[in-house]
Amino acid sequence: MKSIQNILIAGSIMVLSGFTVQQSVQWEISNDYSIEFSATKAEGIFKTLKGEVQFDAQDLAASKFNFIIEVNSINTGNGIKNKHAKSDKWFDAEKYPNIEFKSNAFSKTEEAYSVRGKMKMHGIEKEVHIPFTYENNVFAARFSLNRLDYKVGTMEGSSKKVSNEIKLEVSIPVTKN
Amino acid sequence: MHGITAGILSALAGVVYLYVYQEAMYLDFNKVINMGSIAGASIFACMLMALGYALLERRKKSSLKAWLNMAIVLLSFLSILGPLSVTLPLDVESPELFPGLAIPMHFFPAMLFFGLSPFFIKNIHHAQSNN
Repeated sequence: MKSIQNILIAGSIMVLSGFTVQQSVQWEISNDYSIEFSATKAEGIFKTLKGEVQFDAQDLAASKFNFIIEVNSINTGNGIKNKHAKSDKWFDAEKYPNIEFKSNAFSKTEEAYSVRGKMKMHGIEKEVHIPFTYENNVFAARFSLNRLDYKVGTMEGSSKKVSNEIKLEVSIPVTKN
Repeated sequence: MHGITAGILSALAGVVYLYVYQEAMYLDFNKVINMGSIAGASIFACMLMALGYALLERRKKSSLKAWLNMAIVLLSFLSILGPLSVTLPLDVESPELFPGLAIPMHFFPAMLFFGLSPFFIKNIHHAQSNN
């Protein structure tokens, strides 16, 4: 009798856990993603993004974004600017090789969606809200970050030519895992 | 003839260097630099130098050629600021290796023009003395 009870409990757990996995839809990031940034006197892209995307518009509570961007993959189109960007005066890629984003909560907005989470850059973690859209299996976001919040560069010398506000335009196409 | 010969040889040197550099470094800068642009720029630069020489010859101020040569050298040096500061399309890989390709090419026209000068100046003097 007890063994039947155990089997029933184990079966229930398996069935329930199966539902849980099904609820948060797992997506794989396609290779044609793009992460563009622009500011006064500085613009470019990050070429390498890795991460984990779980998103279900019907179940935002079970959704999750974890992204890692490699700082060394920065490309401004100019070798000298790339070197400066990776140096300890800006991102310090040797010490802080990644920019990380981990979501905490999702919400539905009038236009689309918003994700709240922790952005870690240059060793400094800050909470950010990122509005994004999700259409045709593409996550797209346009938002701004203040580079001084993360102590990326300063407002002294030639660094002050680059505006504090860095505009980011991110497009992440995904396929179902 | 001095200008066009130097231009063609300079273009040839540039194209050979383009091929060798890209093969050696596993690069592809064809989106921003190609045989046509190298040939055009090389021939244009050498023709400008030849024009300067011809003007000095015509005004019988050959003694100023040394200053013209210095100006050509100076301009060649200053022109390296171009490849150093250029922003390449973002889909071009390894932009930090672009100056290594483009900067030497900026000296090819002057090198070839000066290198060939003795042949052509000799001919000019020879032609003048025959006249």
